[in-house]
Amino acid sequence: MLKLIGSRLLQMVFIMGVVSLILFAIFDSDKFKKQIAVAELGGFAVSALSDKDYQAWLDKKGLNTPFYVRYANWVGAVLHGDLGKSFEKNEPVSGLIAERLERTGVLAFWVFALMIPLSLTFGVVAGMKEGSAQDRVTSFISVFTTSLPEIATAIFLTVIFALTLKWLPANAAMVNGWDWRALVLPVLTLVLYDFGYVARMTRASMAEVMSSQYIRTAVLKGLPYRRVILRHALRNALIAPFTIIVLQLNWLLSGVVVVEVFFQYAGFGKLLLDAALFGDVYVIQAATLVAVFVAVLSQIISDVGYTFLNPRIRFA
Amino acid sequence: MSQKLPPVFQHPVIQNAFDHLEAGRLDRREFIRIAALLGASAASAYALVGLPSPAYAEGSLPFPPDDSKAKAGGVFKIAMQVQKLEDPATFSWTQSSNQVRHTLEYVSMTGPDNVTRPMLAESWSASPDLKTWTFNIRKGVMWHNGEELTADHVAWNLKRWADPATASSNIGLSIITGMLHDTGKKDDKGAPIMGLSDGAIEVADKYTLRLHMNKAVLSAPEDLYNYPTAILHPSFKAPISEKIIGTGPFTLAEFKVGDKCILKRVSKTTDGQDFKYWGGKVYLDEIAYYNFDSDNQLPAFASGDVDGVYDFNVEQVDLAKSLPGVIHKARTAQCICCRMQVDQKPFSDKRVRQAIAMTVDNSTIKGLIYTDGGDVGEDHHVAPVHPDYFALPAMKRDVEGAKKLLKEAGFEKGLEVTIDVGNTDGPWHQTACEAMRDQLKEAGVNLRVNVMPAAKYWEIWDKTAFGCTAWTHRPLGTMVMSLGYRTGVPWNESHYANPEFDKALDAAEATLDVEERKKKLAAAEKILQDDAVMVLPLFRPIYTIVAQKVNGYEGHPTQYHQFNKVWMA
Repeated sequence: MLKLIGSRLLQMVFIMGVVSLILFAIFDSDKFKKQIAVAELGGFAVSALSDKDYQAWLDKKGLNTPFYVRYANWVGAVLHGDLGKSFEKNEPVSGLIAERLERTGVLAFWVFALMIPLSLTFGVVAGMKEGSAQDRVTSFISVFTTSLPEIATAIFLTVIFALTLKWLPANAAMVNGWDWRALVLPVLTLVLYDFGYVARMTRASMAEVMSSQYIRTAVLKGLPYRRVILRHALRNALIAPFTIIVLQLNWLLSGVVVVEVFFQYAGFGKLLLDAALFGDVYVIQAATLVAVFVAVLSQIISDVGYTFLNPRIRFA
Repeated sequence: MSQKLPPVFQHPVIQNAFDHLEAGRLDRREFIRIAALLGASAASAYALVGLPSPAYAEGSLPFPPDDSKAKAGGVFKIAMQVQKLEDPATFSWTQSSNQVRHTLEYVSMTGPDNVTRPMLAESWSASPDLKTWTFNIRKGVMWHNGEELTADHVAWNLKRWADPATASSNIGLSIITGMLHDTGKKDDKGAPIMGLSDGAIEVADKYTLRLHMNKAVLSAPEDLYNYPTAILHPSFKAPISEKIIGTGPFTLAEFKVGDKCILKRVSKTTDGQDFKYWGGKVYLDEIAYYNFDSDNQLPAFASGDVDGVYDFNVEQVDLAKSLPGVIHKARTAQCICCRMQVDQKPFSDKRVRQAIAMTVDNSTIKGLIYTDGGDVGEDHHVAPVHPDYFALPAMKRDVEGAKKLLKEAGFEKGLEVTIDVGNTDGPWHQTACEAMRDQLKEAGVNLRVNVMPAAKYWEIWDKTAFGCTAWTHRPLGTMVMSLGYRTGVPWNESHYANPEFDKALDAAEATLDVEERKKKLAAAEKILQDDAVMVLPLFRPIYTIVAQKVNGYEGHPTQYHQFNKVWMA
């Protein structure tokens, strides 16, 4: 087990090194330097600059230093816990990332807290009797909510609950301080989108287990149905959904851009979008490192969880 | 013989404008604008022409008068994009200037009535030939560090704007170009390097600044309220968000790009003195900008999160009307300019450009997007709201004529072109281009509308062969033509170079007689229209909304925020 975790961590460091190097090389191009200049000075001002003045501006920003030197400096700084300074926001990237991760963490927590019990319950109930009314209803709801893009769900919910019924705020910018009510619509949008997917996977897994011979044997032995489900079927049926749920961590970190932007929720996804549009290389780098870290972490959790749920799986 | 004006209107150009007014050839509002630009008080100009003067404070203050019912205190929350604050001279968006507008002030101030009044200057005067301008800097204006504002400080700012290395768009303003001369050197792009003429900026004494120009400039005070002309303390170092020393009643208390910008009242200077604001009473305790993208500003208002918005789109008008609040609408010269680069194929062939311009019906596009308000464009960038606008004969759609021209140009089998659109002012840019696409089909032109993020568009706005660029409001037609179409100027995105046009524009700028000036600008308008450099479908109105509890708010055509006399009920 320790060997597995060690090799995954080594992989992570390797991926971080390669990805950051590629990103640095891409952002070293004249096009991206121009993007930063345009974002900072404005398109009109940049076109008014002579090449000499433009180069002087690049020097001032440290963008004329060869990329391998900048990369080496950046790696050195990162090893000392300094992720650099944001071009756009003029503040240290580490503080920025921590603040935004915390906000997205709160969002993710509530999404998981609602989505996991909901989707597992519906998935298991549906999978218990394939083709039954409960299965058909759950499948319909799951396919319907998942097939709606997040932006459409967000608009529907906003129109109904914020603009028409006026029960909830239309955005989650929280200009008057932290407001739990403002979190409801973004959480609901994400839960609706993700619930169907996890419920469908749980249903498929449960249905497969329910048709296996050992379950049939258990039923024929005369065990109470409740015991068959809880003691025999559930553990095996949850292996696949467990992996999927853990992998949702990645999606919740960087795949929530649409929801965060729509509801003006200042989280990690919105930070990533702003940074990409600005060409804010240090923020993009740091966000990538975090994303790689979370991806590898979720894989480790998934692998370790697997071994607990399925004792037949052993890692050499 | 014309009526002799009182001494307060002593400038010959004012007398000339008055003669035109009496002859019915000049509008009364335009007379007031000109009189105020040339140093007469706006109130006396209003009185002279018999128009009710908007209420303004007594003396030389540029603000509305105090309101006896006003309640001091309160926070005015506004939804707007909260942008980076680096160097105010290089601001490229009105929003960033609004973030510091109540901290950093201007030499002059143009009100919602389009009349420019003295702000950090107490008064100004111009020589009869409009080549020498004298600004009397207001005495007793205190910087936030306790120093007094002087003419030297203002001169420092002007010199900075004139330095190409500052990269300030102010360098294109008439007040600056009038003080530059050709150094005889060329830059790496082959454009002549301009330098500040010796002695152009003269500090006559502690409170007197004199500017010597090599051409007549009527718009000098208006130029000094262009959004990147906020007056900085000479100790300024970018970014301004880290250390801001201004003369205004508010200062930055909290600032996070893309999040919020909180301004609070200044009570003490940085050296511990009591801060005394020169501009009289200010009611608000705090101005708070919260970051909302343009589409989300109105929903934020609807939720009650904010008391006002920077603006909302035409698509949101119905929603705005359903909300409790006061909607402000202003006629402007803000537009999109679908310009073609005259040195890139196929637009290098004038017949192709003319065919495109002839096929597009601007009035249909305007009616499609703005059913209420806005003006139809005439493909020369001067708007009906500009005081120097001259109405050319109405343009007529001619599809057959366009087909003929395309055939002559060798495109009888059709033409494929792509227009880049960044929707930098909202999705209506795309709607306008799609309407153009549908109209152009009839002439055999297949227009592909290439939509890209706004930030991406600003990287290529001056490089793409066919692009849809948003231009903001500028007070004069000559100003926008000088900035965008004169040979070799930095913002000439169409690469248009026509000595005949430059000559016509020079002639218009140098003409002091108001009516003659319009006629000469008409010649420049006609040349540009005939050369089919652009399709300019419309000039848009701007909309904003504030809550009913917000008092003293007036919408401004340039979306500049002026909150000195705003108060919350």
